Amino acid sequence: MDFIPGGELSRRIRDGDVSAESDLIRQFEPGLRVLLRRRTGGDQGLLQDLVQETLLVVIQRLRGDGIDDPQKLAAFAAQTARNLAIASLRKAERQKTDVDSEATERKADSSRSVETMAGDLEAALAVRALLRELPQARDRLMLKRFYLDDYDKEHICEEMQLTEAAFNQALSRARRRFRQILEERGFTKRDLLSLGL
Amino acid sequence: MTQRLIEKYVAGKMGEAEAEAFEVACLEDPELARQVEFEQRLKAGLEQVSRGSTAEFVRAESTTRWRLAAAASVLLFICAGVYLWQRLPGTHPHVLAAVATEAERNGISMRLALVRGAEHVPQLPGGKVRVEIVGLFDPGYHYSVVLDRLREQKAEDNVATLYGQHATSPVTLEVMVDGDQLAPGTYSLRVRKQASDEEALDFSFVKP
Repeated sequence: MDFIPGGELSRRIRDGDVSAESDLIRQFEPGLRVLLRRRTGGDQGLLQDLVQETLLVVIQRLRGDGIDDPQKLAAFAAQTARNLAIASLRKAERQKTDVDSEATERKADSSRSVETMAGDLEAALAVRALLRELPQARDRLMLKRFYLDDYDKEHICEEMQLTEAAFNQALSRARRRFRQILEERGFTKRDLLSLGL
Repeated sequence: MTQRLIEKYVAGKMGEAEAEAFEVACLEDPELARQVEFEQRLKAGLEQVSRGSTAEFVRAESTTRWRLAAAASVLLFICAGVYLWQRLPGTHPHVLAAVATEAERNGISMRLALVRGAEHVPQLPGGKVRVEIVGLFDPGYHYSVVLDRLREQKAEDNVATLYGQHATSPVTLEVMVDGDQLAPGTYSLRVRKQASDEEALDFSFVKP
């Protein structure tokens, strides 16, 4: 999909062009997911809710008053998402301290937690499949060092006696495979059982 | 460069302003955003797998060690097999063979014949020896030649067997025996017409 400048999207939405709203969603949703994933701590349900809420707020604003600088539509959407994430966190904090009937009902509603688990489950299963497929123990250890132990590349290369090029190549291979697994693989019941679900 | 920025963002190593600018870039470039999201999910997936236990990583390494150990065992087994193969003359293909070359025909030979009242058992020289077995043979038939080692009070140990041999003349059948591969002892060489009830010709010799 070609990039559509914020000014053009703003103008078309203000003029009532429904297809422009679809374009805005297609263009911004992936970035909003990135931004909000960082702020929702792996809660897939909350992430999805906040993405939708952000897009709704932005579209309603463009349908109405519009924004000061339409060229900075992406920055406006990003800031809206951050504000909504902060508000959601504050709300969650309040719910932790004030035990009321509403909170109890929410707790009893398991749909969100299932959704959360399912989201994480996909990535975890893909990682598990990836770890099984990696031919060398060195590559598995490399992933652990890089993503979990937070070692920097230089340190890992030194420890494993790798050149940076070899390190980048192995990491890039793992990333490609992970993406491929997530995009292609249908997880089986056996996979789910292997995670104890 | 882009990958380095993605890693930096996902690792949480960007300053606030840099991270915000990067997020705007993600909103303007869906493909960049998808790359970042896969990186986030890879990290999250690894964290989740390792939270259960680090068995995935440990198992992976120990599996490799197990495989290496298995490969070493197989290698050891093969080496031992080859060693035994070479040590056991019964299984060695060259202890007993057909006469194949002119050099073998003209080389060292030993004659085995059924001679009544013979006082001495023939002695097999070292090296490859052409053994001439004297008897009455039918040139139109195949003969089997069986080389056994004889032990006192014990059953014979088969050393080698050769099938499908033809007599070189009506009274001679020749085979090659490698004396260097036979341990000292007494041996028997039996020649039997294949697919017949005829009694085998049985000879004996000594390897000093």
